[in-house]
Amino acid sequence: MTEEFEKKATETFSAERKEDIFVLIVAAVVVALVLAGAIGKDFYKSLFF
Amino acid sequence: MAGGGIGVEYSLRGLPRMLPGLILCVVFGWLALQWDSNISNWNRDAKESEKILKSWTEGKPVLAYDEYVQKAKEGFAKKEAEFKEQKAEYDAHVAALPPGGQPALKEPKKPSKPHPLKQADYEELTQGKAVAGKLAFGQRMIEFQLTYVAVLLLGGMLIRNTVGVPAVFQVGTLAARPLIKPGIIILGAYYMWSHVLKVGVIGMVLVIAFVMGTAVLVSLWGRRAKVDDGLTGVMGAGVGVCGVSAAVAVAPVVNAKPRDFFYAIGTILLFGTLALFTFPYIGQALGMSEPVFGAWVGTSILNTAQLVAAATWYGHESLLTANIINIVRVAFIPLVVLWAIYYYVVKPAVAAGGEAEKVNAWQVIRDKFPIFIFGFFAMVTLNEMGVFTEEQTKILAGDLLKLFFAVGFAGVGLNIAFDDLRKAGGTAFMIGFASAGLKAILAAVVVIALGTEVFAVR
Repeated sequence: MTEEFEKKATETFSAERKEDIFVLIVAAVVVALVLAGAIGKDFYKSLFF
Repeated sequence: MAGGGIGVEYSLRGLPRMLPGLILCVVFGWLALQWDSNISNWNRDAKESEKILKSWTEGKPVLAYDEYVQKAKEGFAKKEAEFKEQKAEYDAHVAALPPGGQPALKEPKKPSKPHPLKQADYEELTQGKAVAGKLAFGQRMIEFQLTYVAVLLLGGMLIRNTVGVPAVFQVGTLAARPLIKPGIIILGAYYMWSHVLKVGVIGMVLVIAFVMGTAVLVSLWGRRAKVDDGLTGVMGAGVGVCGVSAAVAVAPVVNAKPRDFFYAIGTILLFGTLALFTFPYIGQALGMSEPVFGAWVGTSILNTAQLVAAATWYGHESLLTANIINIVRVAFIPLVVLWAIYYYVVKPAVAAGGEAEKVNAWQVIRDKFPIFIFGFFAMVTLNEMGVFTEEQTKILAGDLLKLFFAVGFAGVGLNIAFDDLRKAGGTAFMIGFASAGLKAILAAVVVIALGTEVFAVR
């Protein structure tokens, strides 16, 4: 196995793991806001003309 | 995930570099959603106008605007009362069923709220006796599927390849693409476990047959054609399973050279881009229902972002099916890596009489598993437990999903560069492209034969 690619693959998967953790946090925050009622049914409509 | 952040790492330190591109994607996404909202409203009003015109040709009187609105409200109130009565009857029937019994009655559907025309549009209709121009335009745009998905992908690609995307926005537009993932997670609020298992089991069969099958086919064909192991290994993983991510995961195992890697990525991107823009129209031409189309793209398109975009483009039900199959597919990445280790490292070593490298399978699975899918499963479980009200489900799996997808699709469109696609080439390109094409054709035949009922989530 080439060291260069092994390093690159490890880095990429470490970045993708961080990315997955980031999106899990974003999704959790959004769900919490909806459950708490901070994002309601009129939120989306209010964004457009 | 394919379409994931190759070269982009989420961190607070990197935020200032990402911010300009992210803002660009948010603005672009918002404009596309504004367009989408307008054409959807115009399309709805065009249908209402056609209904009114039909009633006039049948001899019904032309009402004044106030009377027309009043009549629409009364009609809805009547339908709602009927629905409540039928629903009470249905609930009582279900409650009286023995455990495991199937209801003989069909669950009534809640009537949708009336959307009477605006006064100006109604008056234009009464005077011209024809659907207003802008409403007909909206209807035409919906017919051509030129929704926010098309605007972002086609528009983004056009911008990228004509005026270009300035370097200051580059990192942010790449970082916007993974924002499709929170959309995939919150879409879980729409499913029950019975839906996931129903489509997931058949999805797993399709993934094993087509997706893993393609990875194996490319490798065997590549060896026969005497193409370098490194190139066929990366190509097989890429066109078989999950585009760029799988190719990156397999690259070190098969000793791929940088040139091999970029050839494979070029092929994956080229096939994905062509599929993204043509499959929705092919699906329509073949008369595929939304669930069948979702199953087809879930099996044939190699990359999560492109697959989700094509399915969303086709319709919501298509997305619901494609999402489950995609979850199953990305869960297979570690298994493809294990297979590549066996085929390219262990087997040749044993054949040469040498000692095979010991592989820690659990370590491979743990390192390569896309953990974001646990978020999706958590959402399905919360929905099963009744945590979300009907309205909250609509907000999560409808409104917010669109917002995440719009920003993510903006990132996808703005990163389709013809220069990257030109990197595809050589015999391996031919093998990879032909295998991916063959998989798409066979998958289309199978999903059409299996039919809508098998893939319908609800």
